[in-house]
Amino acid sequence: MMRKITIVGIGHTVFGNLSDFDLVDIMSFASANALDDADIRKERKIIEQVFVSNMGGGMINHQAGIASSLVSRIDLEPAMAELVENGPASGSSALKCAFMAIASGMVDVVMVTGGELMRTVTGWKGTDFVASLLHPEVEYNYGLTLPAFAGMFTRMYMERYGLTERELAMVAVKDHENGARNPYAHVRIPCTLEAIHDGENAHVVNNYIAEPLRLYGMCPVSDGAATLILCALDSPKMKYFKKKEPILISGIGAATDTHCIHNRKDPLELKAVRLSAERAYEMAGLKPMDISFAELHDAFVILELVISEEVGFFERGKAKEAVESGATRIDGNLPINTSGGLKSKGHPLGATGVSQVFELVKQLRGEAEEGRQVKDPKHGMAVNFGGFGNNVVTTICSKE
Amino acid sequence: MIDFSMYGQKEPEVYAYKCPDCGTLYYPAPMICKKCGARRDPSGVIFSSWEQVPLGGKCKLLAWTRVYALPEGFDVKYLLFGIVEFENGLRASGRLLVDNPHTGMELEAKIGVVKEKVGEDIYGFMFDIR
Repeated sequence: MMRKITIVGIGHTVFGNLSDFDLVDIMSFASANALDDADIRKERKIIEQVFVSNMGGGMINHQAGIASSLVSRIDLEPAMAELVENGPASGSSALKCAFMAIASGMVDVVMVTGGELMRTVTGWKGTDFVASLLHPEVEYNYGLTLPAFAGMFTRMYMERYGLTERELAMVAVKDHENGARNPYAHVRIPCTLEAIHDGENAHVVNNYIAEPLRLYGMCPVSDGAATLILCALDSPKMKYFKKKEPILISGIGAATDTHCIHNRKDPLELKAVRLSAERAYEMAGLKPMDISFAELHDAFVILELVISEEVGFFERGKAKEAVESGATRIDGNLPINTSGGLKSKGHPLGATGVSQVFELVKQLRGEAEEGRQVKDPKHGMAVNFGGFGNNVVTTICSKE
Repeated sequence: MIDFSMYGQKEPEVYAYKCPDCGTLYYPAPMICKKCGARRDPSGVIFSSWEQVPLGGKCKLLAWTRVYALPEGFDVKYLLFGIVEFENGLRASGRLLVDNPHTGMELEAKIGVVKEKVGEDIYGFMFDIR
């Protein structure tokens, strides 16, 4: 029988332009917030292991040994500390490492902090940095980027399932509605269909970036950090965590797919999403219909739709109907991206997976801000999507 | 095919590779055949290095996009990209030279400079009207 593992503390920075700070500064801030949330600032040395998730520290911040630096800055020595890099899914991968470390019995209390500082470089350089995830010779060298593949993916989906640009814009409107109520979100501004699609000047406000994807079809480039503190439910150290209700990690699963997108038999199939979700459902003993709400990796709005189909919420090609009907809004029967998603909350790569689970915990504790609290949630799911779907981690959290 | 060695260039990844045991074609080359598990050894010392098969010519456009936000090193307003399928069933991503493409159209894959770096041109697939 695997140990039950709970989340006992959460921390977050605002997402946005934090380029006045350094990478470890913002990670320290989220980590310290989590120590306070868990009410263990004085007893912080009970943390035995720290996993840090980050993608670009070496490439864009010219910093190595980030995990050691963080541990020292928040006075957690002599805790063990390592960096986990899995592209935009680094955050959930770090959480998975923490889960495995506790499940193995090696440790009881682990901190997971994810962070990214990308606004310190130009958009031109930042785009190049993210594109380095692609195959170096048969993709990256051409000037191909993640948005380029998202554009091609969107067009294929539109042509096969009849999705319209208006329906895509509706996803963005819904995400911004949630993000506007989230104090941590990067873009806390609601937007209307009139402004980004229906209006006369909508094509100016919402211009093409990678046809047919427009500006409001993509997440912003964000800085930020988020932290989770985990403890085994059977550990005597649970006595330190009395302040907040522990939230159970009931399932976690991951899977990989081909590195080159053109090598997928059906490029519209996101096999790693489906498999990672199946593995998480199996561990949790749950089915798609049991999930109360979800944070799905909408770096591009098309992904919110396709991921929701791959994890079994909707039939293939039918997710747009849920958007039309309002089923995925906060007051719908399956709210999606209650935080605003990557689209509105922002996407600091290494922080994103941790931030998604931070949102699950907030919702399950009943601590979400007014207007974006899901009614009586039992189980929340987070899907963190690395590369263009070549390495995906799914986490399910539940009320204990 | 262009003889890249005469320009002192690294050979571009524009070839398919054939598994010597089961004949399956790949682009780009894997280290282990997905179908039969045969090993490829780029040095050709321990296992065979696999035969290079020219890839190019007639192909069909499966997906395309026009990108306005390009990465460092691409100083133009926009570029078009596409994924094509060749007659042998292999697929490749590359640069699209057609300004008003449509999915399913027939194209011709050529080799051209896809990226200019200081002191080094990088060659790759360019898809154009037949």
